[in-house]
Amino acid sequence: MKQILLACSSGMSTSLLVKKMEEEAEKRGVDVKIWAVAQDKAAKELENADALLIGPQMRFMKKKYAKTAEELGTSLDVIDSVAYGRVDGKAVLNHALKLIDG
Amino acid sequence: MNTFMDKLESVLMPIADKLNNNRYLTALRDGFMIALPLIIFGSIFVVLANLPFLDQLIGEEAFTTYQEALGPASAATLSIMGAFVIIGIGTKLTQSYDIEGIYGGVAAFAAFLILTPQTLEEVSGVIPTSVLGAEGMFVGIFTAFIAAELYRFFVQKNLTIKMPAGVPEAVSRSFSALIPITLTLSVFLIVRIIFSYSPFDTVQNFIYTIIQEPLTALGSGLPATLVAVLLIQLFWFFGLHGQIIINSVFDPIWYALNDENLQAFQAGGELPNIVTKQFIDTFLVGMGGSGMTLAVVIGIFLIGRSRQLKELGKLGGPPGVFNVNEPIIFGLPIIMNPLALIPWLLAPVVVTMITYFAMASGIVPKPAGIIVPWTTPVGLSGFLATGNAWQGAVLQFFNMAVVFLIWWPFLKILDKSYYESEKKGEQTQAS
Repeated sequence: MKQILLACSSGMSTSLLVKKMEEEAEKRGVDVKIWAVAQDKAAKELENADALLIGPQMRFMKKKYAKTAEELGTSLDVIDSVAYGRVDGKAVLNHALKLIDG
Repeated sequence: MNTFMDKLESVLMPIADKLNNNRYLTALRDGFMIALPLIIFGSIFVVLANLPFLDQLIGEEAFTTYQEALGPASAATLSIMGAFVIIGIGTKLTQSYDIEGIYGGVAAFAAFLILTPQTLEEVSGVIPTSVLGAEGMFVGIFTAFIAAELYRFFVQKNLTIKMPAGVPEAVSRSFSALIPITLTLSVFLIVRIIFSYSPFDTVQNFIYTIIQEPLTALGSGLPATLVAVLLIQLFWFFGLHGQIIINSVFDPIWYALNDENLQAFQAGGELPNIVTKQFIDTFLVGMGGSGMTLAVVIGIFLIGRSRQLKELGKLGGPPGVFNVNEPIIFGLPIIMNPLALIPWLLAPVVVTMITYFAMASGIVPKPAGIIVPWTTPVGLSGFLATGNAWQGAVLQFFNMAVVFLIWWPFLKILDKSYYESEKKGEQTQAS
């Protein structure tokens, strides 16, 4: 199972996205676990995740996680702002899967 | 326009980066987060203790009994929030050095108590709760920073007692904190003794007079508030989380102002401040999220003809009620959209001024110091934040109408351009 972690300021707006991504994953039959957390919890949750996607409004936090992510081998990226605005579960799921599968 | 935007972003991005990845500001923000559940618990009981018309309903005497019964809930949390903030900051700052945080947290709290006057009106052996509220907020923050820094310094210097193998880990851990804590707290004791010979008498007094009073006076004024509001909007315009960036600087001031109001509210006195944490959270964020976009959502429902905006309205409406508005900010889009820039910056400035003057003139009660979670829907949040006053809710709805009017022409142009490009797209597909 692929573990996808989303993070934003308080885990609110990313949790909107989680639902849409789960729907998309179920439709496609992809086995994933997707969850959203507040930025201060993200570092702790990193070890349980295969990929961490950060909300674009928090993109300045990327540097903060980069080191830990690299040590743990977790993929890390910022969510595209257009996909974020549209709460586009499909695009973000694709983004995450691409990150994990390389 | 584009090169100008690029330039502005290249200035703002490093600021956001610095403010957010700064060790102390991060510890400050996360420290407040630790105190937040307790603050909100206390706030709920302040609201319950001051329900409108209840005194007339159950009689003066029963009402007093009722208030006294609920009193300890807020007295133990909201009124002494400084204590939790100090422990929170101390813990988080120590943790940021990969050292077990809780020792740094309690060291910070003890250091603060060492600096605190321990007599009240000639009664010794007491700690005035007022210093754990607004009054001691700044001393608390600085003390937490310095105590945690000293503690981790002594830990990293390896001034710890090593226990032989076989000693249970918890035991050896408590001993390993012994020397660093002893040294840290001794430093604060010396500071206290030195200050007792100064004209300020205590460190509390010194920081309050030299730093807190001028800073909160500045922060409670309209100019500084407008600057903060504009900066928040500007950061958001570039798709950066404005609150989280600006609040890390302003929160100590806003919370201190908030607490001054709370104490006055509970004592039944005149509320001293207009600008407080709730002024920002309830009257600027609490109307659909940053930039008060619930009015924009309503505008979309009223005038939206383009599919793009209609879809966005459906998507952004429900979370907008709870003041989560990333779909609107990124979906309209507001970010980097020259057409959205004017209403985006103008509306909050106008609303700030309206709210400020409505409260200054006494038409609307000032925020009562009750912390209402920022996800509370519009109307309810205004009512609660002003100490159960309907005028607070009315002001919010009035402001929403103002935001709507400011956005109207811009939204109309935006909708028209989307509508026309959608129509064009359909035509090319059809032909």
